[in-house]
This record gives sequence, C-alpha cells and structure tokens, in this order.
Amino acid sequence: MLSIKNLQVAVEDKPILKGLNLEVKAGEIHAIMGPNGSGKSTLAHILAGRDGYEVTGGEVLYDGKDLFELETEERAHAGIFLAMQYPVELAGVNNTYFLKASLNAIRVARGEKELTSVEFMKLIKEKVKFVGMDEKFLKRNVNAGFSGGEKKRNEILQMALLEPKLALLDETDSGLDIDALRIVADGVNKLRSPDRAMVIVTHYQRLLDYIEPDFVHVLSDGKIIKSGDKSLALELEEKGYGWLTEESAA
Amino acid sequence: MTVLSDQNKWFDRILAQAVTDLPGADLTWLQEKREQAKAEMLRLGKPTRKQEVWRYTSVDNLLKQEFESPTPDFSALQAGDIRDQIFFADDDCYRLVFANGRIVTDLSRTNGLEKEVSLGSLRASLGIESETIRSQILASSPSTHVFSELNAAAINDGLYLHVSANTKVSKPIEVIYLTLSLENQLVVQPRNLIVLDEGAEATLVEQYISTGDSVYFNNGVTDIKLAKDSKLTHAWFQDESHAAYHISNINLVQDSNSVYRNTSIALGGVWSRTDINASMKGEGAHCDINGLYTIGEKQLIDFHLNIEHLVPNTTSEEHFKGILYGKGRAVFDGRILVEKDAQLTNANLSNANLLLTRDAEVDTKPQLEIYADDVKCSHGTTIGQLDPDHIFYLRSRGISEVEARKMLSLGFANEVLMSCPTESMRTRIEAKIRAQLLSANTKP
Repeated sequence: MLSIKNLQVAVEDKPILKGLNLEVKAGEIHAIMGPNGSGKSTLAHILAGRDGYEVTGGEVLYDGKDLFELETEERAHAGIFLAMQYPVELAGVNNTYFLKASLNAIRVARGEKELTSVEFMKLIKEKVKFVGMDEKFLKRNVNAGFSGGEKKRNEILQMALLEPKLALLDETDSGLDIDALRIVADGVNKLRSPDRAMVIVTHYQRLLDYIEPDFVHVLSDGKIIKSGDKSLALELEEKGYGWLTEESAA
Repeated sequence: MTVLSDQNKWFDRILAQAVTDLPGADLTWLQEKREQAKAEMLRLGKPTRKQEVWRYTSVDNLLKQEFESPTPDFSALQAGDIRDQIFFADDDCYRLVFANGRIVTDLSRTNGLEKEVSLGSLRASLGIESETIRSQILASSPSTHVFSELNAAAINDGLYLHVSANTKVSKPIEVIYLTLSLENQLVVQPRNLIVLDEGAEATLVEQYISTGDSVYFNNGVTDIKLAKDSKLTHAWFQDESHAAYHISNINLVQDSNSVYRNTSIALGGVWSRTDINASMKGEGAHCDINGLYTIGEKQLIDFHLNIEHLVPNTTSEEHFKGILYGKGRAVFDGRILVEKDAQLTNANLSNANLLLTRDAEVDTKPQLEIYADDVKCSHGTTIGQLDPDHIFYLRSRGISEVEARKMLSLGFANEVLMSCPTESMRTRIEAKIRAQLLSANTKP
C-alpha cells in the first residue's frame, strides 16, 4: 500500500530524512520509534502533505502511484489520514459542521453522494459512541478548549468517521495520562482491520503496550537503522536509544 | 451672501434638489432646524484629510459624483423584489419598506401592532406626534459631521418608532431601506427617529440594500433615545450595491438602566462610513455593540465609534471584526470617553482584522480618553492572517483550500454573527458572506 524508497527530505536546506525505506501492506501496523529530532514527525507530515518540506530525493508510492503528485486534500480523498500530535483549535468552527464538511468532501471526491444532515447525525452519533466520547463535544468548536485527551479523542473520532486506508498517528500518546492513553488506544484497536494500515510514530514504548505493532522500526538521523517485531520496542524501553545509534555510527 | 467654493457647491446642489417636496411647511421649528443645518453645513464644508475624523477616508470620489433626488411618486417596487432579502416570515415581524427614501405602504405590514406603539414614516407621523418629534430632532446632538447637517437641512422621511412606557413590542420590527435607480444616480437621505419611553422594549432590524449594482448615495441619520429602564435590540445590516456610497450617522442617548444591544454588519458599498455615537447619560446604562465588516475589491469601509460615559456606573462593550480581501480597505476608529464624574465605568473596546490578501489594508485606531480614576477600561486591536496550520488541518481532512479559507474566515466572524438577534438573520447573513467569499479573490 505504501512504499517509501530512499526518501530524502530537507527543511530550509537542512536534510532531515536521509534515505528512508519503508514498506507498509494493508492490515499491518508499523511503529516508528526514535529519539527527538530523528525525523519521525517529518515523515508523518510529508506523507500527509504539509507545506514547508522539500523532497530532495527518493520516492513514495501509495497504491502504486506517486504520492507527491497529490495535493493534501487529494491524499485525504485517497484514504490517508494523519492524527496530529498537536490538533489545532479552530475558533468559531463548529465541530459537527467540520466533521460533516470533511466526510462529504471525501465522499464527493470519490463520486459518492453527500450525506444529508439527518443521515450524518445518525452516523456521527454511532461513531461518538464507538470512541467513547461525550456528544457535547460535537456542539463545541473544533478542539476549542478541549483538554489534551479530548483533542486526541477527537482525532480518533475523525479517524473512525473517515475510515482511512492508511492512518498515520503522530505522537498520539504525547501529553496523555494513562487513562486517556488507554481510551485512545482502545479506539485505535477497534479500528484495526485487514484493509487498513497504520503507521504509529512515537517516542515512547508505552503506547505500544496498548496497541500491538506488527513491526517496529528505529529511526535515527533520518534513516531507519533497525527493524524488528514488537520485542524491539521492549528492548528500546530497557536500553534506550543509545546502543542503537552508537551501533549505527560505528 | 456667502461665496461658495466648488466643493461647497456640491453640497448646495444636493440640497437644492432635496428641498422640493419637503413635509412640515407649517412647522416653524422644523424650518428653522433645516435652515440652521444648512448654515452649519456650509460653514463646515468639505471634509479634508487634515481633519482627524476623515484622516484615512477620502471623500474625493464621492464629491466627484453628481446625484439627483428621487421622484416622489416612485412605486414600481413589487413584493418579489424584496422576497430574497427579508429576514423574517411575514407573520413573524412587523415590517416597513422604504424605497428611494419614501415608505412603500403596500409592502409594509403593521397589522396587529400594539396600540401603545407608533411605527411608520416620519413624514406621516409629523402631524400626529409633532411634539415628540420636535423635541427629539431639536435635541439631536450637534455634529461636526457635514453630512449629517446635509441630512438635517432636508429632513424629509424615514423611520419613526415610538414605544410608550412599559410596552414591549411583541415581534421584531424589520425595516428595509432599498435604493434602486434605473437611470439617474440618486441621493436618498433617510431620517430615522427611535424613541423608547420608560421601561419599553423593542427589537429593530434594519437593512440597507439595493436590488442592482447602480451608483447612488445614501446619507442617513438615525437618532435613538432610550428612556430609563428601556431595552432596544438593534441589528443594522448594510448590504448596499457595490457601486454605492453610504453614510449612516447613528446617535444614541441612554438614560439610567437602559440597555442597548447592537449588531452592525456591513458587506456592501464601494465607499461607506458609519458613525455610532453613544451618550450614556443615566446611571446603570449599558450598551453592547458588535460589528463585522467583510469587504473586498475596491471597497472602502469606515466605522467610527464614539462612546461617551458621562455619569457613574455605566458599562459598554464594543467589539468589531473585519474580514478583508482583494484590495479592500477598512478604517476603524473607536473612542471611549470617560468623563470626570463617570466613576466605576466599565468599558471594553476591541477591533480584530483578518487580512486574506496581501493587497487588503486596514487603519485601526482605538482610543481611551479617561478623566475619572476608578474605572475599568480596555482596548485592543489585532491584524492577522489565516494560520497555515489551521488550513493544513482542514485540507488534511479532505476539505479544499478555498473551502478551508472560507470556513476559517466565517469562524473568525462567528462571534459577531452569533450576536444577531434572530437565527433567521444569522443564517441569511452567513450565507451571504459565504457567497461573497466564494466569488471573490481571497487567495493570498
């Protein structure tokens, strides 16, 4: 589904990703771990289409097509979803209105008909229940005044609503207490499916206690320096990143 | 005989046209008022940019235009012409329609109106409520604004609303001022008078609109007098033709414990200037003014607020937002005056501007002038652009960039829109802004 080959990315002429390779197939969950500044968030952002990054080499194929040919919103239409580390607060934009606009934009782009308000309300109420959220958050403005946990849960709600093929989770665990983390992980686990791939970017292993990955990759200085299964994450938890980064530098 | 400069001749020409067919020929006070206003108008003359109140707003283009007064027998307006403009269903409001400055009785609806309420045209009310009108018009604060003198020199017609003591008007009053000219460039000068007696309550929704894109000049004056304990909710919507010139002077006087809530929204006109002057003369008075302007291509909009706290224990909130795109220009000048005696005044003023394009421009000037020592006052202005992170967030959810910018702009305006007195009005105006932003050049 996602094939990243020798990807090189710079921000203001400073190389961040320096030849990254990754293959993700439907149904798989990949965890990308790594120390701060290793390029984890850059990877998530560039896949989702955020401005400010320059691709200086390599390629990314999504369903066999060049991902960088697609505009940000076209990637969403094609089934890519980024759950953000810092979901923004949108003053004056009603959450329900936003969620409906998002879903219908994607439906229209796919040649499906828009949902009416009645159809949408029925659907969103199911999804709210699915992720264990309070309906009152639908009436509020997007993320405005939400706690960290509520914001992350609102991201998972969007993921449940939009049913992406490829979900990118950028530091979804950051800033969450253990209860909030469990709730968010619960939502993610319910969304595991044979048709859906997930790439989870995280600094800490603890999220992986709740979401079990098929593969764990260690990103350091813009490259994946080690890949393995979930036991690699436990090893990292124990030893930290030092032994790996030294090993790769040697 | 005064020798008139070319500029003053412009005012004189407009006036000469306007003074035919004026009502109240038998009312000496009215004749005198007009004469005094004329003298004052000629004395003040053309506003120049050396004057602080006109510093950022040039009247040159306005004064290059020639305008004619409308013919009084205008009656071509049909119900269909305003069907898409009105905010309320017929049964949900009382409605007055003015076309080219004169009331259109056929389209106005006041049946069922409380008998303690006078609602109609000023012209028709002159003979009936002569005394109230006389005292209010003579009390209308002398202005340094030459255009309000031009209006006063030819007081003719406009809205007259008088609510008697302790009466609550049961439905919102919708007033449409429509200007349409097929051939000539018209000048219309509505003179509106709103008087709420002690304990009275009303909701007034005014709309200044046009059915076409013609050039005309609306030069209105609205005097509002709120007696003790009265409450007026006032929505003011300016959606003139994008070739029109618009001036509104709103003069508010508040007695003790009266409450005035205003939502002012302006989208139209090629050039428009609105002054809101509030004089809080009674203890416990409160006024609340929320404003929004959304303008673009070649439009200029100017809001001047002058809020005077004259006695102790009065409060006011003035919050204006602007969305500018294309080569839109806005001027905001908000002044709060707290007089020496006005202890315990609480007043807050803000102006936030969203510039969607590089070519848009705003001059904003909030001022606090405080002579009392025990007060709480604040002011603040911001000028900003849409946040790229916000646009990215929406686009990453499948929403196009154009739609994202529109959603965020409307989000910015939302606070003001929420202050509209009715849902129907808010929905209609939101749809208008949406359409305006969609058709306009809002790319950065």
